[in-house]
Amino acid sequence: MFSEGLVAADGFRIRYMEAGQGPPLVHLHGAGGLRLTRAHDLLSRQFRVIAFEMPGFGQSPENNHTRDMAELASTMARAAGNLRLGNFNLMGTSFGGKTALWLALQEPERVLSVVLEAPAAIRPEGSGPPSGSPEEMARRLYAHPERIPPMPALDPTVQAKTRALVARLRGPDRDADLETRLRELATPTLVLFGTLDAVIPPGMGRHYKELIPNCHLVFVYDAGHAIGAERPEAFAEVVADFVERHEAFIISRTPTVIHP
Amino acid sequence: MQVSYFETARYHDPAAIPTYWPVPPGDYDPDSGAQAYHGMIERLRFVEELGFDWISVSEHHYSPRILTPAPAISAAYIAARVPRLKIAYLGPIVPQSNPVRVAEELAMVDTLAQGRLVVGMLRGTTNEYLTFDLNPQEARERTDEGMELILKAWTEPQPFGWQGRYFQFRTVAVWPRPLQQPHPPTYALGTSRESCEFAARHHIGLGVSFAPYEVVGKSTRFFREECARYDWQPAPEQIVYRANILLTETDEAAEKALKQPLEPPFPMRAGLRDALLQADSRNVAGEPRAANVGGVLPTTFFGSPDTVVEQVKRCREEIGAGVIDLMFRNPGSDDPGVLMETLELFGTRVLPRIRDI
Repeated sequence: MFSEGLVAADGFRIRYMEAGQGPPLVHLHGAGGLRLTRAHDLLSRQFRVIAFEMPGFGQSPENNHTRDMAELASTMARAAGNLRLGNFNLMGTSFGGKTALWLALQEPERVLSVVLEAPAAIRPEGSGPPSGSPEEMARRLYAHPERIPPMPALDPTVQAKTRALVARLRGPDRDADLETRLRELATPTLVLFGTLDAVIPPGMGRHYKELIPNCHLVFVYDAGHAIGAERPEAFAEVVADFVERHEAFIISRTPTVIHP
Repeated sequence: MQVSYFETARYHDPAAIPTYWPVPPGDYDPDSGAQAYHGMIERLRFVEELGFDWISVSEHHYSPRILTPAPAISAAYIAARVPRLKIAYLGPIVPQSNPVRVAEELAMVDTLAQGRLVVGMLRGTTNEYLTFDLNPQEARERTDEGMELILKAWTEPQPFGWQGRYFQFRTVAVWPRPLQQPHPPTYALGTSRESCEFAARHHIGLGVSFAPYEVVGKSTRFFREECARYDWQPAPEQIVYRANILLTETDEAAEKALKQPLEPPFPMRAGLRDALLQADSRNVAGEPRAANVGGVLPTTFFGSPDTVVEQVKRCREEIGAGVIDLMFRNPGSDDPGVLMETLELFGTRVLPRIRDI
């Protein structure tokens, strides 16, 4: 069961949801804000999961303070520090994937591993975050929206506030500064794309693999952009395995004996 | 119209063999088997000479009728001995294969064949699932996922992991890649809504088989509608129709040969057949249809050369196929020599007249 907490950092009061015990796994959400899925529950069986609501998203006050993604990342690093997590694993979704990469670059000693769920740090030209009615959003986010419970109608004030914040922080589609620095990122990194992602083409995954020295790319079959919501078991299994074993996660431990 | 010869490596045992499934392996005659593969090359060289465009091989198990359980091996063998024909591998039975292995083997065969490979990806008939103990109820979904993974393994330039429902691989990085880039001409084989949708989404061809024009025509129409939804239209050669042919000098001779009752040669016990039929579900462009377990397949093309030419015209008009893949029935004889005569009849009196259809 996730419980809610608040932590102060850089003058913000940052809400977070926490569950589980074990090595810490910090999650930074996508442009739509914090939304817990079954994947969070599954991961909390093995890890202490802390899912932050980044300043300016959801119910938090409007954020006119943070200037760019790198600054948002350093605020989130301070929030994690103030929770006395020590070293931690870091997972970022879509927009939050870019925040996670900046954070890992800023705090290479503290971030043990990086997991990027359909990251939006490298985007095809002219792409934008999904917007519109809950139905339109669902069609962009999920390969099979009919299998997902309907999204709650979004508060228009929250939507407007978030849209402005995302537009300000998301940065260019190809961020030359970030991409140059990614070549130096030594942290083990896992990039996941759904094979039916309609927000960011899954082919973008190969750019991370080309740039980041210790990077693994995994396609989650039949999932759209919101992989953890759509295929939670498949997502959580590979994420947990990677966070636990890093590059050794490619060595199978799945037993195949049928009748001992 | 392009024409493909469906090569089954015909097995002729001088002794009678049991006519039930599975035929005991102890009844296999190694010399007859060797002769079957040897005859294959003789036939294919002749077919090439006659001007056929492709030969096709397919995966069938535990069957004296079609002696190719490992068609990648047939394809490589044929590639080394027959210089020009395209080699159509129609196809690997995807739900009971390791898709990464299939991608590797086909890339290798395409390279060995100097870019002459054509690929069809197949769900397979229900009886084949008894070979490797595949649950028939999972076959559809395993096929869809496997086909997707094969295409990804051929085209993704970076090593990747695959987190599927039925397949999981942490590292896929296939060497060699196909000689034909991004991959050989590829077809989803089947009449189902799922096959049509998959082929349309991936801009690959569709292969339909055996059923009459009005049935397979439903699928090819649905396929074209789906392609339009994905903003493209298939070229004629992106629709293949596999069918039986019974070619004779006169229509009367074909009528007579067709009337001879053709028992399914290796039937299963009724209880097994019925249980298999129940465990499987099939459709034509979304309309449910019964699976086929060892039933006799219809013969679409039959009659004299003139009649067959007309039937091929109708095939083009009604189902839009640009390639026909022909399984030649021997008119009234199992003698391989008779088959060669039939092939010659086709090559001289039909083939030149259907080229421009």
